[in-house]
Amino acid sequence: MSQRDDSQPPAASEDGTERSNAVSARRLTGPGSLEREKEAVFGRYWVYVGHADSIPEPGQFFTRNVGDRQLIVVRGHDDEVKAFDNVCAHRGSKMVEDTPMTDPGGGGRIQCPYHLWTYDLDGDLRSTPKSFEDASLNPDLDSGEVQEFDCEANGLNDVRVDTVGPLVFANLGDDPPSLAEQVGAAADRLESLPLEEYEHGRRIVSEVECNWKLFAAVHFDGSEERDADGTLAVDDHGWTVERAADGDGSEDRRPDGLEAQFHYCWPNVAIDVYEDVDGYATVALDPVGPDRVQLIADYYFRDGDLSEAERELVRTTRQRRAEDAERAERRRTGLEGGASDRLGSNDRTGAELRRLAQEADDA
Amino acid sequence: MSEQRHPPYAASCPDCDVDLESDAPNEIVDFYRRHHRVTGHDVAFTRIDPALGEAVDEDDLDEVYTLADVVAQLEGEYDDGAPIGAVAAAMSERGTSLGETLEEVHEIRMNGALYEPRDDHLRAF
Repeated sequence: MSQRDDSQPPAASEDGTERSNAVSARRLTGPGSLEREKEAVFGRYWVYVGHADSIPEPGQFFTRNVGDRQLIVVRGHDDEVKAFDNVCAHRGSKMVEDTPMTDPGGGGRIQCPYHLWTYDLDGDLRSTPKSFEDASLNPDLDSGEVQEFDCEANGLNDVRVDTVGPLVFANLGDDPPSLAEQVGAAADRLESLPLEEYEHGRRIVSEVECNWKLFAAVHFDGSEERDADGTLAVDDHGWTVERAADGDGSEDRRPDGLEAQFHYCWPNVAIDVYEDVDGYATVALDPVGPDRVQLIADYYFRDGDLSEAERELVRTTRQRRAEDAERAERRRTGLEGGASDRLGSNDRTGAELRRLAQEADDA
Repeated sequence: MSEQRHPPYAASCPDCDVDLESDAPNEIVDFYRRHHRVTGHDVAFTRIDPALGEAVDEDDLDEVYTLADVVAQLEGEYDDGAPIGAVAAAMSERGTSLGETLEEVHEIRMNGALYEPRDDHLRAF
C-alpha cells in the first residue's frame, strides 16, 4: 500500500486522542514556509532570546537574531533588560558586532561605527558628530538653518521584552498578548524555582538539516520524560511534563517538591529542569534556513565549574539531541518524498504542535 | 559495494563537537558565521578539496605570504571570483584560522587590494 499522500490534508483532531490523523508533507516542508513564519511565528509570538544573568551590569549586552532581525539585548541603567534592533536610526547600518550571550559586550552607550551616532541605554539619541550640526560643507544651506535632531524621534527601534524568572523573551509584534498569557502555567512553575541562583556552565550549538518544526516535533515531544512516569499537561502554547518526588526521604532541592520538569514553550524553546543533577538547561531553536535549524543549548548549574556528573549530563543530553537530529533528518527525507505524517492516537504533543503551526499559518 | 562519497570540504567546532560537510566552500563560511555569532568559537577545516592544493600548492604558499596573492592565484580557477571559503581553506593550510582570514579579507578589501565581483567571491586588483 502506498504511503504517498498527494491529497489535501484532512483536518487533524484537536487533541490527537480521538483518532489517528495525517497531514500532507506540504504542511511541514512546503516551500516558502520559513519566509511566512518569520512574520507569522517569529514576528508575532514571544520568542526566547537569552538569559538575563548573562548581562548583570548596566550597559552589558548581547545580540540575538530573531527572524531576519538582529536585536541588541542590553541591561539599562535602571537595571531593566531592554532590546533594540541592531540598526542605526541614521542610515540603517548595523551597529554592534555579533556578540554571544556567553561573551557579552559592555559600555555606557551604543555607538554606530558608521557616522558615530551615539545612543544611551534607553535607545535615545544622545549625540551626533559636529558635522551634523552645521552646514559648512553645503553652500546651499546656512548653518543657522540646520535643524536640531529630535533625540526621541531619532532613537533606536525598541522591541518588547519580558521575562520568566531570568529567561528573557522578545516580541516583534505591534500589539502582542502578554508573555504570561503565552507561556501559561509553565511561567508559574518556572518562577517558583530559584533559576537565578544557577550559573551558566556550558553552551553547545549544533545544526540539524530539517526545518525547525520537524525537530521540535521529534525532540520536544517530552516522550522521554513521560516514559519516566512524568505527567503531561498541555497548555495553549506548549506543554509541561513533570515528575513528582518519589518520597524516598531524600532532601528535595526544589521548593515545590517536584524532581523534574520539562517545558516546551512555543515556538522556540524548551526548558529542562533535571532531577539527577542540580541544574537546568534551555534549548532554543533558531531557524537559519528553510531546511536547517540551529540548536542553542545552555546548561546552568549551581557552580560554573562542572562536576563529573554535570559533564556526563551534558554528554548524554547532547547525544540525545544528536540521535533526535538523525531521526528528524530521516523524517524530512521521507516527507520530501511525499510520505504522509500520521499522528498516533496518544500523540498529544504532536497534535498540539501541528495546531500551533496551523494557527500561525492561517493567521 | 560502493564507497561512500565524502563532500570535498568539511569543518568542525571541537568545543561543541559539531561539524559540517559541503561541496561548496562558502557553505563552510556560512556555518562559521552562524556558529561564531552565538558561541564566539572558531570553526576549523577538517577536509579540503585536493584540487585546491593543485591551484595553490605548498611550494607556492611558501612564497606567497599575502592573502591577496592567494586570491590572485585562485581566482583564475573560477568564473566570478574565488569563493571566500576556498581562500579560507587555502589559508588554513598555512595555519591561519577561518576567523582570521575573514578579518584579513575585510581589512584588505577596505584598503582596496581586493574586491567582490559578487558576495563572498574575491578578486585581486
